[in-house]
Amino acid sequence: MGGQACVFYGAAEFSRDTDLAVVADVINLARLRRALDDLQARVIAVPPFGLKYLRKGHAIHLRCRHPEALRMRIDIMSRMRGVESFSKLWQRRTTIKLPGGTTCNLLSLPDLVLAKKTQRDKDWPMIRRLVEAHYFQYRNDPNPSQIRFWLQELRTPQLLIEVAQSHANLTRYLISKRPLLAKAILGRTDELERALNREEAAERKRDRLYWLPLRKELEKLRHG
Amino acid sequence: MIQPEELVEAEWAEWYRLTPIQRWLESEKLWQTYLALGGSLDPEPDTQSPFFDAHPPRPHPPHGRTGVRVLRRSRV
Repeated sequence: MGGQACVFYGAAEFSRDTDLAVVADVINLARLRRALDDLQARVIAVPPFGLKYLRKGHAIHLRCRHPEALRMRIDIMSRMRGVESFSKLWQRRTTIKLPGGTTCNLLSLPDLVLAKKTQRDKDWPMIRRLVEAHYFQYRNDPNPSQIRFWLQELRTPQLLIEVAQSHANLTRYLISKRPLLAKAILGRTDELERALNREEAAERKRDRLYWLPLRKELEKLRHG
Repeated sequence: MIQPEELVEAEWAEWYRLTPIQRWLESEKLWQTYLALGGSLDPEPDTQSPFFDAHPPRPHPPHGRTGVRVLRRSRV
């Protein structure tokens, strides 16, 4: 769900680990344990491997010892802030088949964008690239969901103005959900840019607040 | 219509024009090169990540003493 998904959808991240989103239930966790055993993966940081932590929104960090995956890092999560439940993510997933025959299931682009709305600097340019790439790929013949996605998630003022002015009715309808669209429809680039910055700052603050109790719990586990 | 080159550098515009699978394969090539050059598999420390641990546990040396000790220190 992490770096490789970003590459697939059009951003570029040189990720050195593999991020997996999994359903957190007893049966699946047993399956996951077997797969991780095959990779000789060991937990390398808090929290320990357990349903309780995955359900709370923590990530489990592992490192593989199998010779074919030696030192590869794996992070496992089940719940992410602002992102729907695993069952919804699974329904909306993108499945790709690689030339070697391997099948990969990726977070859908809208879900990936939501998952990337974190407190970290590096995630925001990534979101911008992801949505730009999608826009350039589909703008010649878009469907209504794609237009809606751009209006909700584009972070490039010039493109947001282009979409808003081409789809004024839908834009007006979405202003209550994303107030900065009012600036986009009027073509006010500078004001829009400032509004986008404020939107990002507010989201980053929400992410910091969300993680506050989880960080405290991690600290306790580290020193407890 | 705004063109990618009006917003991003040529390399990025070119990257956008690849299909998703082409991008995936390009990144695999980059990955192979990185490993061939001896690149580390350890993620870069990310101080903004909620998982960041400023004092990760380190393996203890077999002799049980501190691995690195200050033997001499300047006055500065």
